Amino acid sequence: MKLVPVPPIAGRTLDAQLHLLDRQALDNDGVPVTTVDDLELSGPEPGTEIPEGTPAPVITALLTGPVLGTRIFGGRPPSSRLIRIPWKDVADVGVVIKLGVSGDSLDADWVERWIRDKIIARIPGGRHDPR
Amino acid sequence: MKRILGVALGILTAIGGFVDIGDLVTNAVVGSRFGMSLVWVVAVGVVGICLFANMSGRVAAASGRATFEVIRERLGPRAGLANLSASFLINLMTVTAEIGGVALALQLASSVHYLLWIPVAALAVWLVVWRVKFSIMENVTGLLGLTLIVFAVALFLLKPDWGNLAGQALAPAVPDEETASSYWYYAIALFGAAMTPYEVFFFSSGAVEEGWSIKDLIQSRINVLVGFPLGGVLSVAIAGCAAVVLLPAGIAVTSLSQVILPVAEGAGKLGLAFVLIGLVAATFGAALETTLSSGYTLAQFFGWSWGKFRRPAQAARFHLSMIITLLIGIAVLSTGVDPVLITEYSVVFSAIALPLTYLPILIVANDPQYMGKHVNGRPVNVLAMIYLVIILAASLAAIPLMIVTGAGS
Amino acid sequence: MILGDLLGRAVHDSDGVKLGRVADARFVVDGAPQQLMAEARLLGLVVSPHSVSSFLGYERTGVTQPWPLPRMLRWRHRGSFLVMWEDIAVMGESVRLREGFTAYSPELVGGPE
Repeated sequence: MKLVPVPPIAGRTLDAQLHLLDRQALDNDGVPVTTVDDLELSGPEPGTEIPEGTPAPVITALLTGPVLGTRIFGGRPPSSRLIRIPWKDVADVGVVIKLGVSGDSLDADWVERWIRDKIIARIPGGRHDPR
Repeated sequence: MKRILGVALGILTAIGGFVDIGDLVTNAVVGSRFGMSLVWVVAVGVVGICLFANMSGRVAAASGRATFEVIRERLGPRAGLANLSASFLINLMTVTAEIGGVALALQLASSVHYLLWIPVAALAVWLVVWRVKFSIMENVTGLLGLTLIVFAVALFLLKPDWGNLAGQALAPAVPDEETASSYWYYAIALFGAAMTPYEVFFFSSGAVEEGWSIKDLIQSRINVLVGFPLGGVLSVAIAGCAAVVLLPAGIAVTSLSQVILPVAEGAGKLGLAFVLIGLVAATFGAALETTLSSGYTLAQFFGWSWGKFRRPAQAARFHLSMIITLLIGIAVLSTGVDPVLITEYSVVFSAIALPLTYLPILIVANDPQYMGKHVNGRPVNVLAMIYLVIILAASLAAIPLMIVTGAGS
Repeated sequence: MILGDLLGRAVHDSDGVKLGRVADARFVVDGAPQQLMAEARLLGLVVSPHSVSSFLGYERTGVTQPWPLPRMLRWRHRGSFLVMWEDIAVMGESVRLREGFTAYSPELVGGPE
């Protein structure tokens, strides 16, 4: 089929696979939080007819956690098991995704905090700064 | 003056850090069975690792991203996970082989059985990973590993027939007692020993650890282009010693004691002392690098906070995964399986896994979004594509040859 | 809706003819301004007739090195096109497009830089 050139678009374009998915997310101190495993959109209802003129869905959150397994093997974890980083916390998208908040305030960091508190901090020298 | 010292330190560390248990065992086995007829493979491998390390270092310096982040981002989660599984398992095999190597070297030095040294070696590795600063760790093990130069010294002192050795190296031929299949099997093993994937994971993550930027690349390029080839010369010296002492006597390499026998013969007790220091340093250094690599690969794939430059409390999953890796290594070695055997398999599997790591780095080194204006030049790309073909050929031929030759026996 | 559900789904036109699979989703950052970055709204889907895993994106950028890889990968994704949100009728187990949809070139115009 004949391809039509895309009309000019105001605003940055981001392709999910090329620019968002599987990118590293860093918090506002530059500390890695997680890799982006999936994206949550605001709609539409899967499988239903979309009425003409419906506004386009937006990205509501970056997803991580068990959703990596379902992205590779299929299926979908229930909404309550999804670990979200709300889109409003995203400051910039480039080679990495920079977040505008500290990792401590994010759900996405809870495994790291748990292992830190239960295991690493218990070993002598765990909090020692190597520099 | 300080600059010159810095450059010298970098080069010397690269030479001393080049040789690990895989190079020691494989070069000795090859020397004892094929003489010098496989030396050309070491040359091919050295050029390859220089190319590879250069690209991954440039990617890390230009974009701040280390190898496995790049692998996941370019290949996607499915291929990336397959890659991670393969790389991590082979890395785990290499960690086990290196810790076993440390224990065997300590056994040679002390006559205490190596099984007793294993937990000591693993604990020592962990303590260094936990507390010691990255650059100090690199420099100390690298400089101590330089004592392996004694292999070259011993080779001279053995007064071999240089013409004969050169003839074998420059006009390679399969020796009468060996088959063509085993010749090519060991070619792949030697290639895998020179171009181990963990070197690249470690090198690029190390670039991020030490905060390299583009202006540091010149130093790293010198380290690599001078240090690695000289490290290759060390590997050849190990093979040469085996060719001169073990091959005529028909001695097979089954343990580290045969590897260092030529040094004892050529350089006496003093040489033996040096080579034991070098052996422990080289294997210990490599054990550190492979353990860190297992942490790097997992952390970079899943996006965890990582790095020795962070407090362990700020890189909790990174450190936990390395502790678990070391525990698995101890468990495997405690079953009594021969570390030399694990080493021989790990180098061949490393050769099989090379394309998985190599292709994404090559792709990203050409991506302007990551590299800005520091993308690969044309000549580098031509060389890299040639090596891609070589690496794919070695990777595909490895398993069939392993079956046909019964893993080289 | 989760994006991972959508990627790889078959795409049909209004007559049920299979056109390919969803290779990617393109967003435009021009929605309601938030504190940090404006909302990213779905512009359209990139459909590839031959291969789902567009893992290197060569068909959308002008990168030519290292030769011949981009050329080979572009061939694998020949015929890829972009459809706009307005031309999508149903998104579910498969994607159905509206009658008379326009097939746009998937070239990235002035990417995220």
